[in-house]
Amino acid sequence: MSELDRREFLKIVGLSAGAAAAAGCSDPAEKLIPYVIQPETITPGISVDYASTCLECSSGCGLHVKTREGRPIKLEGNPEHPINRGRLCARGQASLGRTYHPDRIAGPATRSSDGTLQPISWDDAKGKLAAKLGSDAGKTWILGGPVGPSLDGLLDQIVAATGIAGRLTYEAFGDHALLDASQQLFGAYAAPIFDLSGADLVLDFGSDFLDTGRSPVEHARQLSEGRDVAAKADGGARVIAIGPRQNLTASNADLWVTIRPGSEGVLALALAQAVANARGNAVVAAAAAGASKNAAIEASGIDAALFDKLVGKLSSAARAVAFPPSVAAATTAGRSDAAAVLLLNAAVGAIGTTVRYPAVDAKRTASLADVKALVGKMNAGQVDCLLIHDLNPVYSLPASLGFKDALAKVGLVVAFAPLADETTEKANLLLPDHTPAESWGDASPRPGVRSLVQPTIRPLFDTQAMADTLLAAAQAVGGEAAAALPAGSWKSVLQANWSGTSWRHALARGGEFGETATRGVALVEGLGGVQASAPKLAGSGDFTLIAFPHSFHGDGRGAALPWMQEIPDPVTKISWNSWAELSHGKAAELGVTFGDVVTIATESGSIDVSVFPRGGIPDDVVALPIGQGHTVGHYASMAGDEQSQPGVARGVNLADVLPVATDEAGGQAFLSTKATVTKTGRFRRLALSQWTDNQRKRGLAPEVSLYDLASSGGQEAGGMAHFLAASPASAEEHAAEGGEHAEGGEHAEGGHHFSGPPFEYDPGNDADPDQPYRWGMTIDNDKCTGCSACIAACYVENNVSIVGEQQAIKHREMTWLRIERYVGDGDDDASLDSERRPIPRGERLGENKVRHLPMLCQHCGAAPCEAVCPVIATYHNDEGINGMVYNRCVGTRYCANNCTYKVRRFNYFDYGRKNWPGLLGLMLNPDVTVRGQGVMEKCSFCVQRIEAARQPVKDVGKPIPDGAVKTACQQSCPSDAISFGNVRDKASAPVKRAEAAKSRAYAALQVLNTRSAVTYLAKVRREES
Amino acid sequence: MAPPPATAVADAMNPPARPRDSQANIDIMAVTKGFHWPWLIALLFALAGVGLAAATLAWQTYEGLGVAGYQAPVFWGVYIITFVFWIGIGHAGTLISAILFLFRAKWRNAINRGAETMTVFAVLTAALFPLIHIGRLWKFYFLLPYPNQRYLWVNFKSPLLWDVFAVNTYLTISVLFFLVGLIPDIAIARDRAVGWKKVVYTILSAGWQGTGQQWKAHSRAVLHLSGLATPLVLSVHSIVSWDFAMSIVPGWHATIFAPYFVAGAIFGGFAMVVVVMVPVRRIFRLEPYITDYHFENMSRFILFTSLICGYAYGAEYFIAWYSAVEFEQTSFYQRAFGPYWFSTWCMIIFNVVMPQLLWIKKLRTNIPFLFVLCFFINLGMWFERYVIIITSLSREYIPAAWGLYIPSLVEMIVLTGSFCWFSMFFLLYLKMFPIIAISEVKELDIHARDHARDHAAHASGGAH
Repeated sequence: MSELDRREFLKIVGLSAGAAAAAGCSDPAEKLIPYVIQPETITPGISVDYASTCLECSSGCGLHVKTREGRPIKLEGNPEHPINRGRLCARGQASLGRTYHPDRIAGPATRSSDGTLQPISWDDAKGKLAAKLGSDAGKTWILGGPVGPSLDGLLDQIVAATGIAGRLTYEAFGDHALLDASQQLFGAYAAPIFDLSGADLVLDFGSDFLDTGRSPVEHARQLSEGRDVAAKADGGARVIAIGPRQNLTASNADLWVTIRPGSEGVLALALAQAVANARGNAVVAAAAAGASKNAAIEASGIDAALFDKLVGKLSSAARAVAFPPSVAAATTAGRSDAAAVLLLNAAVGAIGTTVRYPAVDAKRTASLADVKALVGKMNAGQVDCLLIHDLNPVYSLPASLGFKDALAKVGLVVAFAPLADETTEKANLLLPDHTPAESWGDASPRPGVRSLVQPTIRPLFDTQAMADTLLAAAQAVGGEAAAALPAGSWKSVLQANWSGTSWRHALARGGEFGETATRGVALVEGLGGVQASAPKLAGSGDFTLIAFPHSFHGDGRGAALPWMQEIPDPVTKISWNSWAELSHGKAAELGVTFGDVVTIATESGSIDVSVFPRGGIPDDVVALPIGQGHTVGHYASMAGDEQSQPGVARGVNLADVLPVATDEAGGQAFLSTKATVTKTGRFRRLALSQWTDNQRKRGLAPEVSLYDLASSGGQEAGGMAHFLAASPASAEEHAAEGGEHAEGGEHAEGGHHFSGPPFEYDPGNDADPDQPYRWGMTIDNDKCTGCSACIAACYVENNVSIVGEQQAIKHREMTWLRIERYVGDGDDDASLDSERRPIPRGERLGENKVRHLPMLCQHCGAAPCEAVCPVIATYHNDEGINGMVYNRCVGTRYCANNCTYKVRRFNYFDYGRKNWPGLLGLMLNPDVTVRGQGVMEKCSFCVQRIEAARQPVKDVGKPIPDGAVKTACQQSCPSDAISFGNVRDKASAPVKRAEAAKSRAYAALQVLNTRSAVTYLAKVRREES
Repeated sequence: MAPPPATAVADAMNPPARPRDSQANIDIMAVTKGFHWPWLIALLFALAGVGLAAATLAWQTYEGLGVAGYQAPVFWGVYIITFVFWIGIGHAGTLISAILFLFRAKWRNAINRGAETMTVFAVLTAALFPLIHIGRLWKFYFLLPYPNQRYLWVNFKSPLLWDVFAVNTYLTISVLFFLVGLIPDIAIARDRAVGWKKVVYTILSAGWQGTGQQWKAHSRAVLHLSGLATPLVLSVHSIVSWDFAMSIVPGWHATIFAPYFVAGAIFGGFAMVVVVMVPVRRIFRLEPYITDYHFENMSRFILFTSLICGYAYGAEYFIAWYSAVEFEQTSFYQRAFGPYWFSTWCMIIFNVVMPQLLWIKKLRTNIPFLFVLCFFINLGMWFERYVIIITSLSREYIPAAWGLYIPSLVEMIVLTGSFCWFSMFFLLYLKMFPIIAISEVKELDIHARDHARDHAAHASGGAH
């Protein structure tokens, strides 16, 4: 029967309607396409690591780039690399995002007269550049950021061959003052290498060496080793932070000396003199003859007793080291400040031990003074072509320098940046470079350490390595220029530079890591007295403006990376915007509170920014982070915000208010102006991730004094007893303090005085009895500096969504791991009644009671979340892990309410789909589910890494060896604060570590008996401040 | 049993042109007849509110729950507050119908239908909120223990699951109770209806003829259903309270919660009956049936349960202090003096302080006063849930994770929509079925007549 009868018709209609409805409801279909010819090195599902180098800052940390199916998805530290030894900071973790960034420039383009970009071909682009180099080389300049030695050499060759007028290598946070001071004192134009291993006293004169300093990962690692209470009976190195603002280093210091801004040099010189006299070092004493204790006390505002205490500590220290000032403390007297600190190092005998000079001099780079000269030439019409690479001068140079206007007078502005920024907006010709993950290159953080950069993905866009572009253009000029240049590509140039080594071996290892060649230096003969002077401050406001580098933004480049916006600043816990720190007193005087917008005006300009009042800052100071205030960029500006506002700055750019001030060496003096602060009456809420820093005596982040630890009888204490016996004076001193303890003073919760039941359960019990594993973690709060590298690692490893400022304001951040920052155990509850957000109040000038508490899912044995889930979406697995079945979750959110640690995160929107714009989704870890809307998520103890470690041993029937599983947070931690492993194995790292430090081991909120799998080790207070 | 009147058979065979009606039939059925402006305006408002809320919810479903005001650590907000609120409202009906029935409190007959109606629609309203709350409402069936090939099962340890069962059971019994009670009255409506309405009422009246056997079966059914419903009055809100009490959240984890919630539910439920019945009585002229006497009795209940609530509030604070647990103490301190002090003091003033005026008899029978007071009590009861849920969640164990929750416009629209949704059903009901149980009111009349006759007989006997 050929005709369609009624029943048949209805069947078909029904079927197709049903199919259409079903298809409409389901998620869009995506295809998995297998390799036609599978590459030899790639097994789908197995990651391949390549060694490379991090180029996010100039520290030069080694990387292992983890790739999956040809895509880099995660960066980890290279364990062989001498700088970072396998660790990586937050900025390094996030830097991979540049490759997949929505701001990527898709290909070469020219800017037409109406300002729009017209794509052109690479041949045309290089032709244009070659024509310019051919005709106007004498009026062509290269302005760029620091690059690796091979590229640097090649650029110099190109400059020489083509007759380019000049090349400036400029770094906003350059160390010109220190280099000059080294030249002046020791005749060595080189940046000293500060080595904290073995140091017993570390002074920081405002370089913030743990956070934004010269090599933070290296120094954090060295300090952590040097302060390991298990190994050092006396508690190891002491840290004294000197500076007006409580930065991350001051937060971790044993003693925070609050001084007037800019008085570092005067104080350091007086200390050098006193210490030299005490130690009988006549040479240094002579050099520091110009100093005076009274002048230093006067200038810095500290009292004489504190000065003497510092002298005493410095005089008795066996291996002391002092860090010279860096950005936040860079004054117009920067060179003499640095010289004074170097002299102090000489006075304590650090030169040659903890402070060593590399054998070769550093190359001179351009200072702000040189850039100023270039701007002069641009204004004078002497520059017709400016090539800009690895730098965003339109953003970062002080606005009053007039670079932007001068740029308009340059005929051809060529930008090589791979990501759109303020400078590419002004460029006429865009020749986008590869990102580091797509590039060849090298780095040499110090003589003897050479590190390779190798591409791990084929370029995603139509980009070309800057070196290749320039080389091709220069070769196209022809004639003598071409002849003087190396033939071939940039890669061949690089290979030629590494010709002395096994290329394959270097690629496999990540470079060549030899001994650092150093030289012995001594104070220059006939060194006149080092003079320290008060810095010049422009303007006449009531406040001194401190511009400090944001922990994650560097000179501003980090602001483009979403993780660096989303992860809260480790000190203030603010994300996504700028803030102005004022003291509580001054804020009250101005009638402003948290979030109120003030105008900060200097002679150079003014900015409007929300206030963050805090205790860790003096009354006459206003401090702002450098790095925000971009007008271009999906994340850096407000373009990618919920209310998308392209072209509107996110936060403020300090270049708008900083004057063009330089130190004696020409470097930019960031601490160089006074400012006025006036109330505007407006309010702009900031995303503050932590409500209060008062832990209300809940024992979340307790502290144990060295004395209590020594007398508690644990394994660590074995050494302690020895320490006590060795210093009877201090024992008596502590005994006196012990009397105070009995009175229930501020130490009441320290050590084994924890309130609540003793920590005596065994987390190993909370898993299936037949299973060999119970996964657990030990976190040493004494090592945690709060740097947040772990958070960044967790975001990248676990595909944790970025939610943006508006959602972060609503506390909807998705982070699986946060670092809580408690300041003491304050009793001040006044802030809690505030209608607006309360503000951390525990900070006091000169006091240092900061404790950091990394908080993640505790994988409780008696988890409150598991019992209340009506659908068993969260459950306890056989190996003790508190699992989440995302597909089963209906979103009642009961588990999050019942979670006592508040580590559960809910997908209020379809973050997983919406929040990976452009190609960012390519960076997702294929081993970890991307969570959908309406689903709860939280830390999984990196269960995918456990499974990855299980597979190889499962085949041979062996257990997972201890140390085979490293969680992302643990892997990244520069201070090695985290141990992870099987707590059923009594020989595993977390168990051994907790056992060894039993007297300071505790579980957070142990009074609730959640039987958590995370054992914390309490912070040790080494000094009574 | 007395034989039916001789005319009954004849009437059944040859219905008279005009039914013989009692005055009660005429008065009460008048509500469903004719046109009442206030009714129409109210219905239009309700429909508009429902439409707006439905559109808002569609948007929320499309966009994601983030359009609501949730801010960590407060993961439950207005939706759960409103759920508990409506479940609470749904208590008075069953209490009046079942418990007062079992206690033979005859005065209930005039208001029980209104209260039952309110119960059914309140529970229907409440049942929507868990779906709204989870956001992806199409996943709701995960909460039901249904056999499936993936061996997925629900967690019987979770109070939320108990909640699913408790609410569903309560809804079933309430609806049954309501429908069974309605049958004789539907029959009255049937007898007066014409056309298609007659067909509908005929079906709904389930063949009710008012025979003695049917009355007997009916009253047995009501009795048994009362017996079934009585424990549910206590269980539903106890179980809802365990959503909180079984958790570990400071401010929730308290043994007093079950009785405290039940008392609060009855308190709020009675207040809602007053708020609903006062305008109904006024607009539809039902003063002869719902008298001041009824309102006074309800006032007494309100006063009594208000005292229980006041005791519970006090006990919570006392225990928080007495426990010497810092978490609890802080939580309760923050309740009264933290950022949510407003809601706490609203709750205490509206629920405990203001009802004390009911000690005055004049006020107990002052209908405008009662209306205003009960309105505030309902507000206070909503705030009670707000206080319990929001303030407790915002101040949990980890101070660094403390937060603040502010309801968003979306949630306020949905909250308003829930009242409109409830009103819509109630208003439609008014025009379809009698709002006063006619048969039971007649029963009262008969009872009164019998009583009077007995009195008379007794009096005359005494005269002998």
